[in-house]
Amino acid sequence: MKRAAALALALGVAGAAHAVELDPIELRLALRHGPWPQPVLRDPSNRVSGDPDAIALGQRLFFDPRLSGPGTLACASCHVPAQAWTDGRARAIGLAPLDRNTPTILDAGLQRWFGWDGAADTLWSFVLQPITDPREMGATASHVAQLVRADPVLACRYRRAFGQPVGGDDERTLVDLAKALAAYVETLNSGRTPFDDFRDALASGDATAIDRYPAAARRGLKLFVGRGRCSVCHFGPAFTNGEFHEIGIPFALGPGRVDAGRHDGIKRLRASRFNLLGPYNDDPTGAAAAKTRHLASSHANFGQFKTPGLRNVALTAPYMHNGRLATLRDVVKHYSELDPDRVHADGEALLRPLRLSEAEVDDLVAFLQTLTARTPTVPGAPPATADACGR
Amino acid sequence: MRAGLALALFASSAAAACEAPPGFAAAARVESRDTVVLYRTAPATIDVGERFAVDAFVCAKAPPAPTGVRVDARMPAHRHGMNYRARVTALGGGRYRAEGLLFHMPGNWQFVFDVERPARVERLTHDVVVE
Repeated sequence: MKRAAALALALGVAGAAHAVELDPIELRLALRHGPWPQPVLRDPSNRVSGDPDAIALGQRLFFDPRLSGPGTLACASCHVPAQAWTDGRARAIGLAPLDRNTPTILDAGLQRWFGWDGAADTLWSFVLQPITDPREMGATASHVAQLVRADPVLACRYRRAFGQPVGGDDERTLVDLAKALAAYVETLNSGRTPFDDFRDALASGDATAIDRYPAAARRGLKLFVGRGRCSVCHFGPAFTNGEFHEIGIPFALGPGRVDAGRHDGIKRLRASRFNLLGPYNDDPTGAAAAKTRHLASSHANFGQFKTPGLRNVALTAPYMHNGRLATLRDVVKHYSELDPDRVHADGEALLRPLRLSEAEVDDLVAFLQTLTARTPTVPGAPPATADACGR
Repeated sequence: MRAGLALALFASSAAAACEAPPGFAAAARVESRDTVVLYRTAPATIDVGERFAVDAFVCAKAPPAPTGVRVDARMPAHRHGMNYRARVTALGGGRYRAEGLLFHMPGNWQFVFDVERPARVERLTHDVVVE
């Protein structure tokens, strides 16, 4: 009986694949992009991950410009909720112009490494970087700790989240607040998309639901998982393998300056006392630190940047680590017309120009547009009434 | 003729000596003229983006015995390896555990076992497909 049911399911999936002309390998790869949503697991290195009081504190901090040195910039100044938690700029502008594009923070809790260069191995240690970078928010540990000590509401919320008053160790307080911010960011997950409905219909063999998915997007998906080989790196439910690649985007910043990407990211990660091998890792088992302990580096890391997830990608223009490409169409054409000579000699043999027709470019863009969540992720409503800590 | 028989007898007893030790259910056997590597992964199925370990039994068909093994993996068609370095622990009796491996892409991967012997290293490889 069990065998008969399995056979029926297999036939249903095969029939569904035929409807969109996916070969068996393409079908299996398409199914690997779900299901969605994925469970967000608590971060064992962050003792307040998933804690409602820490999430509430983190939300408050996220929108509070007093967190920055001069009191003018909040996290939300660049990660704007109404702009898919990005800023729409090619390169971010903090207290000074920056070299890289602001990535969305949606689904950040699913990532392995953080930042375009992966210089952080936890979300909380990544949060520390913009807060303390003089070109971004320009704060110091003492500034942030003093802010919380002096504000009765923040001090109360800190006490509730961490079970004790703000202590005298400013660095530890800064790390705690970064952990509260990370706990909040972990709750920012993107919603289901037309692609998710299609993918689930493929899995169940629901021909009616399959037919609702636009024909151009189906053709684009076939290219994405097939000839285009996009899904080799944009793999899995979040459409990223979480690793780093050099894709022929120039990384010169100006005369005498380059953005070495992952190469420097690994150096910074290893040098950071906030990494998982350092004293602020709350995981008593040490298991969370395995990725950092086993991390390898090589000269091939030069110019590599993290594969971004593609959920809501139509809302996060401009694209690439430096915002060099303005539209999704530009991105697809980049891969279509890629100059292999621009990928440095140690680069992967994976990249080659796809030589897509204009119609195929349209199809891939149509597919990418179906990765937009039907319902935008917006901040939870602030408490309508004051609680024990006040508003 | 006699030499041929002697060789056959030797090969037979060497092969018997390179069977998996009790309690070690290997998933694959990789073999060269001089060496056998039996291995399995933990978990048994390798998922893209998930860390895994390799348990190996390394055996010499003829002396000298291996002194150690290094375990790595690569994608030959892509010209790259893993972004992680496995650490190998010798468990005794020719058994080893390599931890910290992670395949970051689907496709054709190749395990690389560098078996260390006095004065030389012998490389054995085994291809796997990860989806």
